Amino acid sequence: MKIAIVFLAATLGCGWAQDIKMPVGLEKLSEKAENSVDVTLDGALLQLAGKFLSGKDADEAKAKKLIAGLKSIAVRSFEFGKEGEYNAADLQALRAQLQPPVWSRIVGVTSKQGGDNVDVYLKNGEGAQIGGLTVIAAEPKELTIVSISGTISPEDLAELGGQFGIPKLNVQQKKPDQKKGKEEE
Amino acid sequence: MRLLALFLAASAAAFGADRDFDRLVKAVESHFGVQRTHIPFLGTANFFVKTARPEGVSGFDLAVFENIRPLAWEDGQALDSMMAGASAGLHPLVRVRSRRDREWTYIYTGDTGKSTSMLIATFEGHQATIVEVRLSMDALVKALQEPRRAGREFGRGAERDGSDEP
Repeated sequence: MKIAIVFLAATLGCGWAQDIKMPVGLEKLSEKAENSVDVTLDGALLQLAGKFLSGKDADEAKAKKLIAGLKSIAVRSFEFGKEGEYNAADLQALRAQLQPPVWSRIVGVTSKQGGDNVDVYLKNGEGAQIGGLTVIAAEPKELTIVSISGTISPEDLAELGGQFGIPKLNVQQKKPDQKKGKEEE
Repeated sequence: MRLLALFLAASAAAFGADRDFDRLVKAVESHFGVQRTHIPFLGTANFFVKTARPEGVSGFDLAVFENIRPLAWEDGQALDSMMAGASAGLHPLVRVRSRRDREWTYIYTGDTGKSTSMLIATFEGHQATIVEVRLSMDALVKALQEPRRAGREFGRGAERDGSDEP
């Protein structure tokens, strides 16, 4: 599952709020989808993983650092047999939770030709930390939602891709003044 | 020889007493109105698992249900409900639903301590399989890093071991 994300590192404000909930309506999409995959790592499992990952092994130490502040990871992905099996309304309940001031839509990539849309929302955390991350990657025949709850530094975001069921994230850091969503052709 | 027999009996008793696995098995039996298929030499296979399986895996249990009624795609919701009820207390890890292959896979992890278990339930065509893999916490942590791959590996590995005579 290919997700291209341009991540704009920005200085974020303060504030905490409850985590997002996957809308019940998303469940109905799995009935239409050819394939659907749910990956859930709850807080207990993540904490546990953190305890047992070695701080001496370089890879494990990196993973340990990554998940240290995380509360949960949820990935929902759907592959559809044809285009038009889902629409914007199916995501409305999810997007309604991702509103300012708690959430900031950092990236909005819209491809008019390919129909690929990627939205990245960050939850404001303490200081320069991120309090959570939600990615909505919508392609004509594919929909992926990644929800990460907990504290994570911007630098570590890219490292999470490919681990714990999270698709690979092609993250590039840009300057804060490019914070607004951008549009591709 | 007697020692081996005692050991195998103890292993079988320990695994047989596992409540999570039994609960899932009973739920499938009740849902489909079938009994699990007897697998000869499963206990012996378990003994060999201790030396032949990947690091951190100490044993498994396996229940195969043959000749279940083939599932229509619309049955998925009822299957989800059944599995949700039967898996209470477990940590849901992965759920895969494939309309293309008419296959449903559910992966859970059990309670954690010095060791834990991973339970994998697969429904495909006329067959359902439930696998419980006993593994160390280190092995679980590695599995968490790539949950889908781990589910496939453990599930298939245990099915293979259970179906072959050692």
